[in-house]
Amino acid sequence: MAEAGAEQVRSILAAAGASGSWDWNIAADALRIDSRFAELYGLEPEAATRDLPTATFFAAIHPADRPRIRIAVAGMLAGAERFSKEFRVLAPDGSTLWMHGRGQAHLDENDAPVRFTGLLIDVTERKRTEERLRIAQSAGGVGTFEYSDGFATATVSSEFCQLLGLHPAAVLPVRTINSVLCDGEPLLLPQPGSDAIGDTLEAVFRIVRNDDGSHRWIARRGEVVREGSGYRLIGVIYDVTAAKEQEAKLRELADTLEMRVQQEVAERREAEEALRQAQKMEAVGQLTGGIAHDFNNLLTVIIGNIDTVVRRMDMDHDPRMRRSLENALKGAERAASLTQRLLAFSRRQPLEPKTIDIARVLTGMSDLLTRSITETIAIRIDTDAELWKVEVDPHQLENAVLNLAVNARDAMPSGGGLTIEARNVEVRDALPGGCLPGAYVVVSVIDSGTGMSPETVAKVFDPFFTTKEVGKGTGLGLSMVYGFVKQSGGHITIDSTEGHGTAVRLYLARKQQDVLLEAEERRPSARMGNADETILVVEDDDDVRAYTVGILRELGYQVVEAQDGDGALRLLGGHDVGATLLLTDVVMPRMSGPELASRARALHPELRVLFTSGYTRDAIMRDDRLDPDVDLLSKPFTYATLAAKVRELLDRGH
Amino acid sequence: MIRDSVTLGELERDALTEIVNIGVGRAASSLRKMIGDQVTLSVPAIDIVSQRRAARLISEREAAELVAVRQDFDGAFAGRALLIFPESNSLELVRAVTGESLSAEDLAEMEREALTETGNVILNSCLATIANMLKRSLAMTIPEVLHGNSAALFEIDDAGDEDGLVLFLYIDFAVRKRDIRGYIAMIMDIPSLEKLKELLDEFIARVVGDDG
Amino acid sequence: MPVTVLIVDDSKLARIVAGKALAELQPEWQKAEAGSAAQAHEVVAAQPVDVCLIDFNMAEKDGLELAGELRALRPDMPIAIITANIQDEIIARARAIGAAFVPKPVSADSLEAFLSGAALRLRSAKA
Repeated sequence: MAEAGAEQVRSILAAAGASGSWDWNIAADALRIDSRFAELYGLEPEAATRDLPTATFFAAIHPADRPRIRIAVAGMLAGAERFSKEFRVLAPDGSTLWMHGRGQAHLDENDAPVRFTGLLIDVTERKRTEERLRIAQSAGGVGTFEYSDGFATATVSSEFCQLLGLHPAAVLPVRTINSVLCDGEPLLLPQPGSDAIGDTLEAVFRIVRNDDGSHRWIARRGEVVREGSGYRLIGVIYDVTAAKEQEAKLRELADTLEMRVQQEVAERREAEEALRQAQKMEAVGQLTGGIAHDFNNLLTVIIGNIDTVVRRMDMDHDPRMRRSLENALKGAERAASLTQRLLAFSRRQPLEPKTIDIARVLTGMSDLLTRSITETIAIRIDTDAELWKVEVDPHQLENAVLNLAVNARDAMPSGGGLTIEARNVEVRDALPGGCLPGAYVVVSVIDSGTGMSPETVAKVFDPFFTTKEVGKGTGLGLSMVYGFVKQSGGHITIDSTEGHGTAVRLYLARKQQDVLLEAEERRPSARMGNADETILVVEDDDDVRAYTVGILRELGYQVVEAQDGDGALRLLGGHDVGATLLLTDVVMPRMSGPELASRARALHPELRVLFTSGYTRDAIMRDDRLDPDVDLLSKPFTYATLAAKVRELLDRGH
Repeated sequence: MIRDSVTLGELERDALTEIVNIGVGRAASSLRKMIGDQVTLSVPAIDIVSQRRAARLISEREAAELVAVRQDFDGAFAGRALLIFPESNSLELVRAVTGESLSAEDLAEMEREALTETGNVILNSCLATIANMLKRSLAMTIPEVLHGNSAALFEIDDAGDEDGLVLFLYIDFAVRKRDIRGYIAMIMDIPSLEKLKELLDEFIARVVGDDG
Repeated sequence: MPVTVLIVDDSKLARIVAGKALAELQPEWQKAEAGSAAQAHEVVAAQPVDVCLIDFNMAEKDGLELAGELRALRPDMPIAIITANIQDEIIARARAIGAAFVPKPVSADSLEAFLSGAALRLRSAKA
């Protein structure tokens, strides 16, 4: 080869990225290399100009790669057609370079190899990139494929096989690849007779993995490389199952959005309705509470005076007068109980909540219920075995249950079944109408009676609303129950179906410390006073004060009186008044009962205090319940209840 | 002690791959001559697996019935070589080999012959190259055409008493413009594989010399 | 007198392929076919045969054996063993009995060297 020609070839090879070329003469057992090859192998430049021993070929190859390359070369010398191996070469500067040796055998007419020529191409950079790519692919779960138009197989990566659940292989039949597709899916790779490939490989396929049978979503991306009349597909696949599932969820969410908006709107409307109802009840409650308060004062006077007349007069001589007075008293007492209920509804009745076992309360009521309910109605009382404790006023609870039972009875004129249940219930989501999540004991009163229309149900808690004939009911039963439950921090629901019956449920919050304090029954009895016991009566209503003072004097107490707090404090400040007990109204102009009490106690720490009130909400209640230290006498009171309460207080030790 | 398997070392595997590569290269060139179209043969991967596993490897890839050309060999080591392809490929292969000139009747008549000849050329290329490289000779029987699923081809029966191992060569041959692909498998018993391993070591010692 | 070539192969297809290559290279030459060694002997006994192409891999009797027998009958006849079995041993045995070796698959290219050599030999034999 002429020197100029060789130089030309060299520069062409250099431009092509070749790091050297060789020509192995098999017949002559000699190796020729070019100057770049010599340089790469750290040989003198003149080595490129002469025949070298063939062993030179292996001299600079990394020892770890050498046996492999020797075997491959042996194959070439034995008649293999192509040589394509990657191996490391130790360069003279100490660096290690990756070379791709590509060569071919030149055969004689008998197919015997005579020469083995080839090129060394530096692929160090590519190797690194491949390594990065390989890590990226396995880390990213990306499988690669390459498919040439018309072939039945495709070149794939092991990650590709893994994604489809196939045995790892470098080449897979296209049919095998497509066999993992779910029915009706388009082909992952084209098969003979399938539709022409589009311009993009972007698609998503549903597959059933071959190994574990799991259903997955696989995305395909890549490029179509057109080559003459054919093409090559080069691309990647990856699993998009998680994204697809998310997408499906989102879609479902979008699909149900309208429904959920409607539901949301309905719930909101319900909440607004409940709020409106609550506001209405509150307003009515304020009104009735106010009326009841004044009413109680009047009734105290009426009852007190009739009481006095009955006690003072010898009425055996005039039975008619006695009967009249008794009727008047009866009427007044009924009026008093009516105002009690009004107060209950307006949530202004003083409650004395106790930690109780509802099962006991209900069991204790069974006699009462049997008497109140006709025999044509079967009564069933059913309570959970380990019922939680609640903290409510037991008397008011009895009242409420009795009220509901009587309503139920009235709804079953021709008989039926009445069930009173108490169950432990965990409310997980807020109930419509404002019942918060939490633990409750639910007392249900269920009848199989006539039921009510929705319109009626909407109004049942309104005071004075009644379904009964005029004169038969007060219309305060359910509203009283409502007030009691609300005041006790509970919740009430009513379900009614016309013709099927009604269920009223009282949700009473579970008391966490189940300390059972049994109600101590205190029987009022007329107990007399002593003249050395001085009671200071403070009451702004002259009639009530006069009546109260009258009773206490009759009982034998020393009584001083004041019209308001200032008057009372003046009296207490004087030296001549050694009051033992302060009996004061709660609600008074200028200075309230509790304020008076605290200022009076500052003067006389030993002073005992008894409040009287038509209602107690204003000043005396904390969290809707009586302060445990406070004693309260509800108006209207009678001779006997006043006598008992005063005596009890004075006798109670400190 | 009877070993229940034979494992090839890295170099032994390299050597066998290289040898098979030469054979496969010859086979590809033969096939090119027969078909007159581009034929590609993937770089083979080599595995020694049980007959049962070999059957599964194929059935995982090929659901349909298979056709195989079988040729037994005997000599320094003995065994049975199989060239396997899907039955649906068979006529396609025949057409590729015989050219488009044959009538449909001739084609059907020629099918078996074409398969036998193709198998003969490919298997002989591989086996003969192996024999030459290992400097031993092998006697080969007349090729035979078999039909059946992979279990049948690998003679898997329910008794499970097949004890041979399969030198499994993942050779996919793909023919451009034709839906043709195939596999080559060589079933050998353990003594034969041990012998092959021995001969491979000899070969390696010969070509690698001190570098081994 | 036209040259007659006997093609011995148990595969009809292989005979067709060889016949094609022959027709391409030497369109003037006659062709005779035999499907086995026994048939080949019959043909050789019945008609003049100038050149033999024998498949190695045949049932009953292999091509090398047949070639040996024919070589004994016709020491100067150009004989080629055709086979895909390219083992060195086979090639050596073919050479030993004075037969050429033609690898399968047969094509005009692979057959050309043998046929032109045969033609040359036949011409010089006649001359």
